[in-house]
Order: sequence, then structure tokens, then C-alpha cells
Amino acid sequence: MDAVKQTVVGARCKNCAYFFNDPLVLEQVFGGLAAMSSGFASVRDQDGLCRRHGLYVSARDGCPTFKPATLLAGG
Amino acid sequence: MSEEAKEMAATPKPSGWQEFWSKEDWWAVWLGLGILVLAYALFVGGESISWIAVAPAKWSTFSQLGNQFSTDALRYVAQAAFFLVLFSLAIPFLGQRLRTFIPSFLFIYLLSLIIFAAGNWVQSSHYNLEPPLVALVLGLVTSNVIGLPRWLDAGFRVEFYIKLGIVLLGATLPFTLIIWAGPVAILQASIVSIVTFSVIFFVGRKLGLDARLAAVLGAGGAVCGVSAAIAVAGAVRAKKEHPPIAISLVVFWAIILIFALPLVSRALHLPTGVGGAWIGTSEFADAAGLAAAQSYGGLAGTDAGISGTADQALASYTLIKVIGRDVWIGIWAFVLAFIAVTFWERSEAGSKVPAGQIWWRFPKFVIGFLLASLLTTLIVHRYTLGDYNKLVKPSLIAPITALRTWAFTFSFLSIGLTTRWRDFTAAGSRPLVAFTAGVIVNVILGYILSVQVFGNYWSSVATH
Repeated sequence: MDAVKQTVVGARCKNCAYFFNDPLVLEQVFGGLAAMSSGFASVRDQDGLCRRHGLYVSARDGCPTFKPATLLAGG
Repeated sequence: MSEEAKEMAATPKPSGWQEFWSKEDWWAVWLGLGILVLAYALFVGGESISWIAVAPAKWSTFSQLGNQFSTDALRYVAQAAFFLVLFSLAIPFLGQRLRTFIPSFLFIYLLSLIIFAAGNWVQSSHYNLEPPLVALVLGLVTSNVIGLPRWLDAGFRVEFYIKLGIVLLGATLPFTLIIWAGPVAILQASIVSIVTFSVIFFVGRKLGLDARLAAVLGAGGAVCGVSAAIAVAGAVRAKKEHPPIAISLVVFWAIILIFALPLVSRALHLPTGVGGAWIGTSEFADAAGLAAAQSYGGLAGTDAGISGTADQALASYTLIKVIGRDVWIGIWAFVLAFIAVTFWERSEAGSKVPAGQIWWRFPKFVIGFLLASLLTTLIVHRYTLGDYNKLVKPSLIAPITALRTWAFTFSFLSIGLTTRWRDFTAAGSRPLVAFTAGVIVNVILGYILSVQVFGNYWSSVATH
């Protein structure tokens, strides 16, 4: 039960290999974002892009295709 | 514990406290309140921060201007160093390197000084040389016609400067005004926001747009521009193509409205408080709206025949925009996220909508704005009107107002310098039509509410 709970909590987008939310990178990806807002704004929370689904999601989201960042980094 | 769970346990997770130094909203709060505390400490000690809050005075000949600069040269150098030290505390936490930020900021500072001086030419209003508009045009021409190296972007932080300026603006607004005008601002802004969002969303859906794109566009047009669009995009899990479309449309229309709203307000001779309220209701982004409101407020007392004061335009603008619209972005995101998982993407997993995002997405600089207002109101409350005018205003309020104007000018210039049209995504005709429909309704409804319904209210806004 503990393992299930921890997997659910840990398997959030912010820990996923497909997810990135670096504010400066997002300002590059979304041309014009810095012109009238910012990657560092509170309203953006920790949202970022999912490379797998092509979606802009919350870091607190999750999905069945979650892949731990450390697993991918290790090959 | 499963292997996956072990991996998760090993993955570093950002702490909740990290936001206090990784978000520019909080840095605007720390720096803005820091300036206020410093100004008050000097004031209590019989000194004033005014020496460093230098700005060009009115001039009519170049020799007068030259004399001003030669007299105050040291103060300007000290002021630039003061801002640099202040911003250098935050910049490393906001992903920039100091070695690129410093030359970039000095570039912004020098241009701002020129704009400030041009705005104080006695003939400037005759030639429509309002500093915010000059800053914007100069920035746009520089970035789109002349071109600048990308590394200079390190100092063009539109939102950071505008948020710092808004916190300092709070220090010049009585807290009683926020209490008095806040409910009307919320009522007026809510009516316009809900109607505008509905128009954009339903026109967009009628034209066949994806519901999430329609929601992102609607939030951009109804709440707080690009910031709202990006916040709602994350909340509803928009496609990665959606935010750039909204950004393009918001910036396109925001730039038009920066010039159009003050122009029409001037033609209609609206009092500054009323013009500010209309701009606050119908502009999108905070920085763009402030440029328009400050520009219009600058016409008070000139030969344009506009009644009211410059501060009234900023006060009514800020009340509507910040208190009436910005602070509700978390609620919008929460409601739209709930609608998204309930109706638009029922088949997708992980569909809980945490109420926490109402706070997570709250624009925290508003806390600094409110605290600054409360603090100065408590300070001012202890003085008689005579002492306020003789002591408090020149030694405490006026210098903070000058520093605020500098922060706003940095921001207005940065809007132009970061708006490179070639970087923007082509929005497509259907998003353009949906968004434009919302803009038209927003501007008309904003005018009716600001001028016809609450006009007397906004024209009597009182500032420090």
C-alpha cells in the first residue's frame, strides 16, 4: 500500500523524464512570453511542457505513461 | 517499495519555500518593501531617500537640461548603482548572469534617463511625447528595425520591473482607498471579465476551436493577458501550440490599445481617474495597461484640458486591474481546470483538480502592493495634514513615487525591446476573429461601466 501511495505521489510530471519547466527555456519556446509576462511569474506555478504528449501541464499532474527522470538519464 | 518508488524517493523535489526566491513576484515584494523600509528609516532619522530618487525636472532649453545633469551627475551615478545592487540580489535567482545583466541594465537605465528628460520638456505634451509611449516606440523600433544582440535580453525583465513598480505604487495609495474602491473595482472588472471570456470562448467554439484553446484565449482577453493565458494553459492541459497563439494575439492587441485607449480618452476629455478605470478594465497585461494609464495621467495639468491628477489615473487603473482582475486568476484556473477534467478530457488519467492552485497561481506581488499601502497609511495616519504636506510628502512619498516611475519606465522600454514580431507565432484567422470579438465587447463594455455607470466614482478617487 505504501509503495502504491509513494508511486502515485512521486509519479507526478515534475519527476517525469518527458517534462521540462525551466523558465528561461519556456521563454524561448513560447516566443513573446517575456514581452508581457514572464517564465518566473507566480501565476505559472511550476507548469511545463510534456515532450511525450505535446501538452503544457502542471508539474503536479500525472499520467499512466510516467517515466522517472532518473531512469531515462541512466539510459 | 517498488523500484519506481525508490527512483522517486531519490529524485529531488522542489520545496514549497523555493518560491520565495525563485519567483519574481516575491522578489518584487522583498525589494519593494525593502525600499519602503529604507525610506522610512531615513525619514525617521531626519534624512530622506530623495537624494537618490533623482529625476529630471521640467526644462525648456538644452542649457537648462545640461545644467540639471551637471548638477545631479553624481546622484544619477549613485541611483544607477543603487538599482544595480538591488536587482543584482534577485537576478541570479531568476536565471540571469550578472555579467550580462549589468551592461544590459545600464543600457536600459541610460535610455530611461533620455526618455525621462524628453518627457519633462515643457513642450512634450504638445508633441504627444508621453514618456511611456516614447519608451514603447523607442523599444519597438530598436528591437525590430535596428536589432540588438540576444544576450542583452538579460536586463529586459518587463514583469519584474512592473511588479516592483506596483509594490511601490501601493506605498503611495491610501489603504482606505483600496477598501473604499475595491468592491466597485471587483464588481466592474468581474462583469467585464466574465462577459469577455464568454464572448471569446463561445465565438471560438462556434468557429471550431479546441475548447482548451478557446479557454486560453478567453482568459488572455478577460483576465490579465499573457499571464492569464499561460496560467490557464497549464490548468487545462493545453496543447503546446496553444499558448503561443494566445501570446501573439494578446501582445498584438495590447500594443494597439496602449495607444488607442489614451487617444480616445483624450478626445472624449475623460477625467484621469475615469480614463484610468477604462484602461484598467479593457487593457490586458499589467505593464501595457500601466503604460497607457501613466501616459494618460501625464496629460493632467497640460493644455490637453484633462481634469484630475496623474496619480488618479494610476490609482483607478491599478484598483481595477490588480484588485479587480489579477487576483482572481487562481479562481479562473481552478474553475476551468475543473471544467476541463469534467467535460473536455474525461478519458485522461490524473484528473483531480487541487484547490491549492488558487493560491499557487496567486500573483504574489499583490501582497507587497497591499502591505506597502497599509504601512504608509499607518505612517501617514500619525501626521496632521499640514505636517503631511510639509514633511511626509516631500521626504517619503515623493521619492518613492520617483523610484516607482523609474521602475515603470524600465518596464515600458523592456516591452518594446522584447516584442520582436518575428518571434511570434501566426495566430490563424479563427483565433484572431474570436479574440477580436472579445476585445470589441471588452472595450465597449469597459467604457460604459467606467464612464456611464461608475464615472463619478472613478473621477473622485483620492490618493496620498
